[in-house]
Amino acid sequence: MNSGDIRIIEATYDEVAVNPCELALRLHTERGYVDEHILRCMDMLRRTAHYKCVYIRTDVDLSRNGQCDFGFMNIHSKHLYTNLNQCRQAFVMALTIGRDVDRLLQRLNITSQADHFIADGIASAAIESFCDYASDIMKADLNCAPRFSPGYGDVSIEYQKPLLERLHAARLLGITLNQAYFMTPSKSITAIMGIQNE
Amino acid sequence: MNKITDLMKSKRLYFDGGTGTVLQKMGLPSGQPPELWNLMEPQKIISLHKAYLDAGCNIIKTNTFGINRDKYPNYRELIRAGIDCAKKAVENRSEKFIAFDMGPTGRLLEPLGDLPFEEAVSLFADNVRAASECGIDLILIETMNDSYETKAAVLAAKENADVPVFVTNVYDADGKLMTGADPAAMIAVLEGLKVDALGMNCSLGPDIMLNIIGEFRKYASVPVIVNPNAGLPEIRDGETVFNIDEDDFSDYMVSLAQQGASILGGCCGTTPDYIAKTIAKTRSIPYEYPTAKPVTMVSSYTHAVIIDDDPILIGERINPTGKPKLKEALKNGDMNYLLNEAVRQTDAGVHILDVNVGLPEINETEMMVQSVSAIQAISDTPLQIDSTNFDTLAAAMRVYNGKPLVNSVNGTEESMIHVFPIVQKYGGALIALTIDEKGIPDSAQERAEIAKKIIVRAAEYGISKKDIIVDPLALTISSNPESARVTLEAVRLIRALGVKTSLGISNISFGLPQRNLITSTFYANALQNGLNCAIMNPFAAEMMNTYYAYRALNQLDNGCVDYIRYASASEQPAAAASQPKTETLHTCIVKGLKDRAAAQTISLLETSEPIDVINHHIIPALNEIGTAFEQKKAYLPQLLMSAETASVAFEEVKKKIPVEQKDSSKAIVLATVKGDIHDIGKNIVKVLMESYGFTVYDLGRDVAPETIRDCALEHNCMLVGLSALMTTTVPSMEETIRLLHETDPAIKTLVGGAVLNQEYADMIGADFYGADAMDSVRFAERYYSGRT
Repeated sequence: MNSGDIRIIEATYDEVAVNPCELALRLHTERGYVDEHILRCMDMLRRTAHYKCVYIRTDVDLSRNGQCDFGFMNIHSKHLYTNLNQCRQAFVMALTIGRDVDRLLQRLNITSQADHFIADGIASAAIESFCDYASDIMKADLNCAPRFSPGYGDVSIEYQKPLLERLHAARLLGITLNQAYFMTPSKSITAIMGIQNE
Repeated sequence: MNKITDLMKSKRLYFDGGTGTVLQKMGLPSGQPPELWNLMEPQKIISLHKAYLDAGCNIIKTNTFGINRDKYPNYRELIRAGIDCAKKAVENRSEKFIAFDMGPTGRLLEPLGDLPFEEAVSLFADNVRAASECGIDLILIETMNDSYETKAAVLAAKENADVPVFVTNVYDADGKLMTGADPAAMIAVLEGLKVDALGMNCSLGPDIMLNIIGEFRKYASVPVIVNPNAGLPEIRDGETVFNIDEDDFSDYMVSLAQQGASILGGCCGTTPDYIAKTIAKTRSIPYEYPTAKPVTMVSSYTHAVIIDDDPILIGERINPTGKPKLKEALKNGDMNYLLNEAVRQTDAGVHILDVNVGLPEINETEMMVQSVSAIQAISDTPLQIDSTNFDTLAAAMRVYNGKPLVNSVNGTEESMIHVFPIVQKYGGALIALTIDEKGIPDSAQERAEIAKKIIVRAAEYGISKKDIIVDPLALTISSNPESARVTLEAVRLIRALGVKTSLGISNISFGLPQRNLITSTFYANALQNGLNCAIMNPFAAEMMNTYYAYRALNQLDNGCVDYIRYASASEQPAAAASQPKTETLHTCIVKGLKDRAAAQTISLLETSEPIDVINHHIIPALNEIGTAFEQKKAYLPQLLMSAETASVAFEEVKKKIPVEQKDSSKAIVLATVKGDIHDIGKNIVKVLMESYGFTVYDLGRDVAPETIRDCALEHNCMLVGLSALMTTTVPSMEETIRLLHETDPAIKTLVGGAVLNQEYADMIGADFYGADAMDSVRFAERYYSGRT
């Protein structure tokens, strides 16, 4: 792909296996535990979630210590600088499982707190799993640094704004930020993944 | 009349194209907002406009898309400069118009986002007032991807300017706005708000717009605007390029014009060349002003409900008349009860929900606005706003996201002069009752005469016949033996007037035993006589039987698909009722079998005292699952399901306990602290507390310390549970605890949340740290047994 081209990855709930570790973590269960209540909530999400990712492959200039310059944004961060460790390019991505999931969760918040807790946990695990799924497609044969998101370490959550703008995330994914820089839909992720070699 | 609205009656008009991409070629640095050039480089903005006018367009958009008072303190100056540039460009040219351009605020409105509706109206209103002072020909509200924000902008335009208003929205590849509305839903709401033209812009390109232009042609009665992008933007060698060139673009525009687009132009990536080629290729295509579409529609923020031959069910359950539980919930401000009714009725299959919250003890207008907003946060079923209070109707219609059904107007002068102006302003379909100053006429003919009068008077306010749905009023046959016959005849006569009909169907059987038998038979008769809408109880199986059978018998249910699905589902409860004999309330609670707990409890209550059911069945079962959870033999999802199941059982028990014996001594105030919007943890604690019989005063999330203190004092509740998920809100928790302890040292605070631990809790002065929900319940139990 040309540097800077916007690419889109879409998937369905069934195409992206929910990571059992993530699920166990969110639902406070042991790994691999499922019961009829969890299966029922999974079915609700199967009917509701729309997985979509927008990403670019872009140059990153690390020539100034503690600064990661992506052209469209220059992030001042020791942690990200260390994470990118001499990468010359990176994938920059935004992903969501959609606004309908927020509406489902709002509705469950009224009808059943148990269903709300379970569906919220599955949805959180689902977006993380989708992030892994999409990252694998981006990486193909490349070696990449671990993903890094605004809000981690010393990277301000405010960098979500230029990142989302560069990816046309409002138009392509329907992601908007509120004044506290929280994303809507709530089950959305932004991330940077350094490319360690060609 | 403004000249542009005259002109568009006779000929196809053209908008200009993109701004940002053209300005970037003129040297606008990437990342710099184009509107800054209104002051910095006005000559370049004028030359941009002139280039489009030279290409042949009729309407230029001012370079004001991204301006609002939140982004620019000098927004007035920027707007004035932008309009000045446009004025200079059109000087000495005829049939050229200046559209004051307003784009979205960039923030999402409540409930999904954090921008209150009236604040959005106010942001747009400031822009409109600034622009109106400069002299503009029309207002273009464009690139809107949310129906609610669109409505806010239109209201601001209509309330602060006297020029035509055009609106274009951004539809995605699936033909919907980002927040879910389809074209029919947008047409319903925008034509209700009396915009002069509507359509689509931006999006992924003209190819995508071709997929949905048919919907506009089918439903729109005003000219349709199509301003597409030149395809999808890609960044190549640092430059933004679009993947549809001017030749392909203009070919697509020919197809769009042939399929009914009245006003053509461009958006991102289009240049004067794109517009010139579009004009050259479409000029000779015959132009027809759209015809008025006689379609009766109401809508929510996702879809429209079309009222025609296929019967429409309007759920009647959100109305306190004869419903003591709802009355109680409204008096206590318990929105959850009302919301549950909304969800249950939608699940039962209604198309529209009636919302009536009129009670003498409460402020109806405030409650109606709160209810409409709360229901729309969780349900996309269109609403029927039902009130006899004109102020209530107006306030609710203003905040409603969509085009509502309004219940009601009647043939009295008092009603018509108050209700028509509200509907004229906000848009809505209107239930018209055939009653006038003399009361309800005895004969069908006289009721039809009142309907005629209402139709004529509504037209004076610009309210079309298609938006009037006449209710000829079914009265109970127990005191009016003629009622059914007269009402049915009235339905026939009124349908012959060319309007739709509705009936509050349940009234027919008032005062009789086995009411559903009479009601459903009358409903079948009414449908046969042409009834369109029934305000009814969707939980009455007989009514739903009639509805599905009627549709199957009258070719309204292709292949009887809906009927078969309904009939199959109706058989299932019988199968579910055959529960295993070994199942008890105890096992239901332990296994979290919520659906079966009520039946088990009712059966136990036949032989046991309510208090015994609690102490010998519910509490031991809860303790069993609670202990299993503490020993890590059960997990949080199971614990929660069990707690909810226990709550269902409690509800049944409560019905058997006389009011004076109810124990409300065990109570707790719960809140997520100020600044924190995460409430899952708090809600888990709430469910568990309720299942153990505690009265919970749930204040929700992001709650100010003073509100928490006031609630504790009001209910004399000395136990307060606080939750925080973010480290940034722990100081807010500390402040709350300090305030509570200063107010009354006897108040005990119980804290929990992902960021807390015992050490942290001690540091901020909390009385108890709950490591998990069960831990919190145990503490509360100890507190009330005097063991803390």
